[in-house]
Amino acid sequence: MKLKLLAAAAFAAGVLAAPASAQQTPIRIGFHAPLTGFAASDGKSSLNGAQLAVEQINADGGVNGRPLELVVEDDQAKPDQAVPLANKFIGDGLKIVVSGSYSGPTRAAAGVFQAAKIPYVAGYAIHPDITRAGDYVFRTSFMGEVQGKAAAKVVGDLLKKKRVTLITLNNDFGQALSAGFKEVADKFGLEIVSEYTYAMGDRQFGSIVASVKRDNPEVLYVSGYFFNGGPLVAQLRAGGVQAQIVGTEGFDTDNFIAIAKNAAEGVIITTSLDRESKLPAMRKFIEDYEAKYKVGADMVAASTHSAVSVAAAALAKAGPDDTAKLRDALAATKDLPTAVGTLTFNELGEVNKAGQIQVIRDGKFHHFATIDDPELLAAPTK
Amino acid sequence: MFYVELLVIGLVWGCMYALMALGLTLVYGLLRILHIAQATVFTFGAYIGLLVANRTDSLPLAFVVAALAAGVLGPLIYRLVYEPILDQPPFVPLIASIGVLVAMEDGFRLIFGPYGLSFENNPWFTTTLAFGGITLNLVQVWMVAAAVLLLSAFALFVVRTRAGVAWRATVSDPVIAQNFGVSVVRVRYLNFFVASVLAGIGGVLVGLLNNLVEPSMGSVISYKGLAIIVLGGLGNVPGTLVASLALGVVESFGSVFLDKVLDRDAMAFLFLIVVLMVRPKGLLGGAH
Repeated sequence: MKLKLLAAAAFAAGVLAAPASAQQTPIRIGFHAPLTGFAASDGKSSLNGAQLAVEQINADGGVNGRPLELVVEDDQAKPDQAVPLANKFIGDGLKIVVSGSYSGPTRAAAGVFQAAKIPYVAGYAIHPDITRAGDYVFRTSFMGEVQGKAAAKVVGDLLKKKRVTLITLNNDFGQALSAGFKEVADKFGLEIVSEYTYAMGDRQFGSIVASVKRDNPEVLYVSGYFFNGGPLVAQLRAGGVQAQIVGTEGFDTDNFIAIAKNAAEGVIITTSLDRESKLPAMRKFIEDYEAKYKVGADMVAASTHSAVSVAAAALAKAGPDDTAKLRDALAATKDLPTAVGTLTFNELGEVNKAGQIQVIRDGKFHHFATIDDPELLAAPTK
Repeated sequence: MFYVELLVIGLVWGCMYALMALGLTLVYGLLRILHIAQATVFTFGAYIGLLVANRTDSLPLAFVVAALAAGVLGPLIYRLVYEPILDQPPFVPLIASIGVLVAMEDGFRLIFGPYGLSFENNPWFTTTLAFGGITLNLVQVWMVAAAVLLLSAFALFVVRTRAGVAWRATVSDPVIAQNFGVSVVRVRYLNFFVASVLAGIGGVLVGLLNNLVEPSMGSVISYKGLAIIVLGGLGNVPGTLVASLALGVVESFGSVFLDKVLDRDAMAFLFLIVVLMVRPKGLLGGAH
């Protein structure tokens, strides 16, 4: 309370001394990510990406002359942490919030923000119900199902293979990816030979490797995060499995390659980030990220960077005070260049954009293909 | 052949659990403490092993240093956390133990970063041996070898040496053992040392097998270890070994045939419930 009074006094003094400095009070954006707990690695990338966006915007003079400030909270990737945290953001008077977290907490918080009519932008949470919470909720990444469909196209159209085994992580992320893949498998002439599921905590896959050897597919479609996928891919190769591996954006980090090493060679992933992109916004993100953090950029960082950019663009258009105007400005986002491509929201608050296909060669991600198939990759509209 | 392969993989996993669970059951047998923080020692061993291996490129050295470092941390946890509260009801040390595990998980994260670390050079992982159509890598072979060698050495120690006799005497009756001149406190330190060395070596092996050492790597094995020692009949060493192997095999088959319905980590507890319904004192209940 004392602090607040002091701050108010300082603020008042500032206003009296120099009227222009009122322009300098930062605009606050709420941001939550799993900074501790099992998902802390993604939380770190997520926060890095968001902070980079804020830094770049402030270096360019801020939003209408006012600097941005990120108000950061840790949700531990737990839904039960997200609800009190969302209420805290609302209580603190924040007018716009970005999720740098997984689907569980994002989905829980989305309802709270919708009820309070606070615009909420999800960076990389993929559960379909998130944007269905209402018209104040937006998402800048592909939904899981859409990405799964892109993977099916990669296998059937680009690789010209038929027999597929799915290895699916048994959470919403993995299930959504596999559901999308299976939905269009017939369309691309794919035969699903077998499917195995595993849990978030699994790092040892000997029994699945043995089963894959028996099933002998041409392609493995593997969902999960780098901490599952790295050991899994390494164990598949060490066990003598030669089939082409197609992974997901969860593997889109140099940590995946650090774990799987040589086994990562030739792995293809569907993602939002193209390391060899010609889009200026994506290029700038990759270069600035690597210069600032001395590590390779990843999908999670690119996604939260984009979500913050989208929020900042809406703030610039609608001003920081009226949440209804902010919502309208967000909904009207059209052809906005970001780190994950050029974004336009549909009526549900989802984006339509091209899918990036990357391949790992010589220990690095490289461009393999871009899937620009508006029909296949269309986000749902309701 | 496929089923034999699953069986072999299950036994490898069982050996991994045995390295972890033996220490838990020893500590329980002596002090009636459910030593969840053993998983911290396991993670610590893995980190130390990885750091040494990446600096020196020598896996044998990594194992020795990790075993010793773990062997120091375990007794230290006893001295600092458990000893002051030994006269409290058993749930007090249990809660303290959980506290150590949770705090250290974030401790590892702060020290070593959230992304986890990988071995720069992991030759054992990429070297494979074929046994009549079944391919195992050298880490898996070492997992089995380490479990067999270390547990045999432990059995010999307990049966053949004076310290081993003193240990068994203390486990069966600390007061009488003390009256016969056995230092109960030294037995306790020895107990934590042995349990921690096994956990530390297990940690490095699991780190090699995953090629990933991460802050949370102990959390799954911590509660699974509890399921195993209950399965084995609390404090029952042969029972714990049988339970470890049995759980490994159940998981190996379950993770392929029951994967759509049941989380692999849930299988441990389902197996536990089923066994306890049939044999309320554990797999080898009543044998001890």
